[in-house]
Amino acid sequence: MDDKDKIVAQGRWLNQLAGADRVLLAAVLGLPLLAGALLVAQAAVLAGVLHRAIVEGAVLTGLLPQVALLATILVVRIALGGFGELAAMRFGEAIKQRLRFDMVVDLLQRSPTWTAARSSGALSSTVLEQVEALDGYFTRYLPAMVQAAILPVAFAVIAFSVDWIVGLLFLISAPLIPVFMALAGWGAEAASRSQAAALNRLSGRFADRLRGLVTLKLFGQEAAETARVRAASEELRVRTMRVMRIAFLSSAVLEFFAALGVAGVALYVGLTFLDLVNVHSTELTLSAGMFLLLMAPEVYQPLRLLAAHYHDRASAKAAVAEIERELDGLPAAVAPVAATAMAGAAEGPASLELRSVAVSDPTGRPVIAEADLTLEPGGRIAILGSSGIGKSTLLEAIAGLRPFSGVIRVDGQALADIDIPELRRHIAMLGQRPRLFVGSIADNIRLGRRDADHAAVRRAAQLARVADFADALPEGLATPLGEDGLGLSGGEIQRIALARLYLRHPRLILLDEPTAHLDVATEALVLDGLAEFARDRTLVVATHSLAVAARMDKVFRIGGGKLLPAPKSTSGDRSMGAA
Amino acid sequence: MRAILAFAPLLGRLKGPITLTLLLSLITLLAGIGLLGLSGWFLTAAALSTLGSAFNIFAPSAGVRGLSFIRILSRYGEKLSGHDMTLRLLSDLRAWLFARLFPLVPLARRFGRGDLVSRLLADVEALDTVFLVALGPISTAVLAGGAMTLVLVLALPGAALTYALLFFAAVLLVPIGLVLASRAAGAEAVAANAMLRQAVLDGIDGHQDLMLFDATDAAAGAAAVASGRLSRARQGLGLRAALASALVQLLAGGALIGTLLAGLAALEQGTLDGPLLAGLLLAVIASFEASAMLVRSATRLAGAAAAAARLQAITDSAPAVAEPAAPLPIPPGGDVRFEAVRFGYDPQHPVLDGLSLAVRAGECVAITGPSGAGKSTIAQLLLRLVDPDAGTVKLNGSDLRAVNGAELRGRIALMTQDAPVFLDTIRANLRIGRDDAVDDALWRVLEAVHLGEFVRSLPGQLDAVVGEAGRTLSAGQARRVCLARTLLSQADVIVFDEPTSGLDVETETAFLSELPELTRGRTAIVITHAVVPETFDRVLELRAGRLEAARH
Repeated sequence: MDDKDKIVAQGRWLNQLAGADRVLLAAVLGLPLLAGALLVAQAAVLAGVLHRAIVEGAVLTGLLPQVALLATILVVRIALGGFGELAAMRFGEAIKQRLRFDMVVDLLQRSPTWTAARSSGALSSTVLEQVEALDGYFTRYLPAMVQAAILPVAFAVIAFSVDWIVGLLFLISAPLIPVFMALAGWGAEAASRSQAAALNRLSGRFADRLRGLVTLKLFGQEAAETARVRAASEELRVRTMRVMRIAFLSSAVLEFFAALGVAGVALYVGLTFLDLVNVHSTELTLSAGMFLLLMAPEVYQPLRLLAAHYHDRASAKAAVAEIERELDGLPAAVAPVAATAMAGAAEGPASLELRSVAVSDPTGRPVIAEADLTLEPGGRIAILGSSGIGKSTLLEAIAGLRPFSGVIRVDGQALADIDIPELRRHIAMLGQRPRLFVGSIADNIRLGRRDADHAAVRRAAQLARVADFADALPEGLATPLGEDGLGLSGGEIQRIALARLYLRHPRLILLDEPTAHLDVATEALVLDGLAEFARDRTLVVATHSLAVAARMDKVFRIGGGKLLPAPKSTSGDRSMGAA
Repeated sequence: MRAILAFAPLLGRLKGPITLTLLLSLITLLAGIGLLGLSGWFLTAAALSTLGSAFNIFAPSAGVRGLSFIRILSRYGEKLSGHDMTLRLLSDLRAWLFARLFPLVPLARRFGRGDLVSRLLADVEALDTVFLVALGPISTAVLAGGAMTLVLVLALPGAALTYALLFFAAVLLVPIGLVLASRAAGAEAVAANAMLRQAVLDGIDGHQDLMLFDATDAAAGAAAVASGRLSRARQGLGLRAALASALVQLLAGGALIGTLLAGLAALEQGTLDGPLLAGLLLAVIASFEASAMLVRSATRLAGAAAAAARLQAITDSAPAVAEPAAPLPIPPGGDVRFEAVRFGYDPQHPVLDGLSLAVRAGECVAITGPSGAGKSTIAQLLLRLVDPDAGTVKLNGSDLRAVNGAELRGRIALMTQDAPVFLDTIRANLRIGRDDAVDDALWRVLEAVHLGEFVRSLPGQLDAVVGEAGRTLSAGQARRVCLARTLLSQADVIVFDEPTSGLDVETETAFLSELPELTRGRTAIVITHAVVPETFDRVLELRAGRLEAARH
């Protein structure tokens, strides 16, 4: 029952998308119907020509006006069909374009912990492949459905006026077809759903394995992984064939009726001519008989078209279900977020206060049980603790990236009461796994403040010690980077991410392992830069490095889900052995 | 189009299914032509027959029924076998392409990951049209059109030439013209698709950074730009397809009118009778069924050609290192030697210059040095992911360039700085290190890296699935899964590249102190910037491209 409601809601969502542009929708549905009406005229004229030539013995010159009329009808009909096709394409593209944008905005408005818990390959496949899978529903299935609902019956009624037996044959057989088709289609739809899920898993798997290609090669997994790729593809083939076996069955049903219609009309009309069948008061002419024969395939053609595009509907519905599953709901139209201007100058360091803060991971496991902290404006603290103990989680909660219970106050104002752009202006955070984007080093630094001029980027690069390695590159800061900083070491990526932060004017800085990939000498230089930037700012650093901790005012450690004060130096100076 | 031909060997493997599909589709088409033609002839002949004349109705009516059933069955079979064959081809293509990627590793900055995913999935799938849409239907249409032309030559010679010209223009020239006209737009659509995927991946993978820097609107804007570009490219393709489809229908209409005029003239001259004229006209109408399908998919053929060219660009790129033609065996043992090695990604600025290193079998050596000094390059040279510009790297006296790469990687294991945890079970993640490892061995190694208790707490234990990039694990736990995997391998030499980054000092110190014990009996080379414990045999420091002893 619940499932059924869901499917109904998914269907409604699809139709909502279609209803957004009613004028275009009318053209998409109406033009093919007009072209269909001309088909009747075309068949009548052609049958008339044959009748006059074969039965009445008319000469070619006398028939030329009718042949010219036939040609004109043909051209107009083709033009109408062409315009219908163009309208359908525009219609589909407009819907997909809007939907893709809504989905991306929707994704980016969610919590980063939500996206982090999901496969980025599968999510991107949802935005690309699954949205693309909707195309056929709007451009092919909808017009085909309207044609199938109207044209066969209209053609049958016209045939009825010529010969009631043929009309009756059409009238009875045509509506039967959708029944058979629906029977065959149901199976196809269920199978198509599982196929969409398989396709998405495959996409996620590829992204994952490609990321680890080097590791797989190093461990000699080339052959084994290639075999697994083949196995996954084969699984998709088996699933797809299950869909196709049933989907094609419904088109075989149609083929059956269409062939039967032609054969039935030919035999019935032929036998009537031979007087072997006689149910008529008036004589049937060749013109009428030929017209019926010409119309016979056309009666079933709209239904055949619908069958050919029926799996477009099944794929679209499966894609909708997949979108809903992947995004935890169907995206509604969203208003684009207005860009917020950065304020020019800092307004002095902020205070930070934590009262009974508790944070759980996405599975609900408590990570931080009860953290309390009072940090005066301009204070600098380090948070130590073994990995996985919740340092990052706590910083993310303070940055407003994670839900928490208890109270976090910045400058005495509760986090929940500060609006997001304001919050981002006051608080800057460097995560443990900063991401670099395709573009130059300077472009990546400029993510911190997009209107930053060259000099500002340069200053930030120097302060974060990016310039140290960038200047050795032939193009300096303009050096293009591959995706995710391909070609850079972990320490270099971290320093670029730090430079981003230096372009801003935060009042509270949260750093998560800023020097994890740096050697002691570079670490010291980077910390000098940080000290300079963090003057007149409040600073919280989660770290393993005792060198970092030594430079802070106070040191805390996380134990038992609480923040505990710790002595500033707990073990020997780590810089001894390495240098 | 030439790019598609490069994939012909893969098609060759599916000769049987291809022939079957072709045959079935030809039968379907010919049965359709025969059915409508025979019906037209029969109907007209019946209309003209005088009462009581001996008109044989049994042969034509049996023919009509027979042809309809042949058509129903062959159509179903054709579709099924065509799709099955196409999907088999897809599996072959995916596996083949994946296998081709491995020798090219490391892919470096040549291809972004988003782009690569797009190539593998979308491009390979775009190639499915090559047979189902192009080769199959074109051959069928040409054969059926040839047959129809032959019938016209015999029955209505006046119409044969017009029909042949218009038919072959519709089934050959228009699709070819469409492919050529769509080439640029098709390539543009594929490129825009890759750009959009990259934009979406950037948005998802960099979500936290974008959020923190209040740059989500810029990311959404980048995606919107790519999406608009994709939409425009698709509309360009659609316009061409609509024009081509109209053109084909006009040609079909022309063929109908031409045959009609020639037929009427022949009828007037008495060289053709009425029933045959009706039959031929209806057969001509039926024969154009072949062209309707061709045009709809020819746009996708253009896209497939672009996809094929991109796939070829990957497979044709030179491998990072060349395998020796006649590899020499590696003598047993774990003795590693660098002799006057020079290497630079930019040869003008070598990272390593005149580097020499000798590590005896069973030794445990640490290499330290400032970040960016080239420490990781030493590991890459040892695994032969790159070759030195000068000098040699040897394992037990064998130059690495002379030995089999797979054998080398069986003898030297490397845990890279960015080794990933795969979206798979703990067991599958560990077994990458050693395919046949039994659970006991897995637990032993998990205990050794202090993960035993954690894994026992997971639902499903060894069967617990860990997330993409190990994000359901903490950074430290993810590193330790990779460590466990590496320790599991049976290599004589194990290289660790920053094995403890992301671990806290206590765990780092504990782990490094245990390393010599864990790797006892094997050679261990540990690249690190951490404090090196006393348990190591030697510590070397990389400075200005050379190694110096820092401690003995």
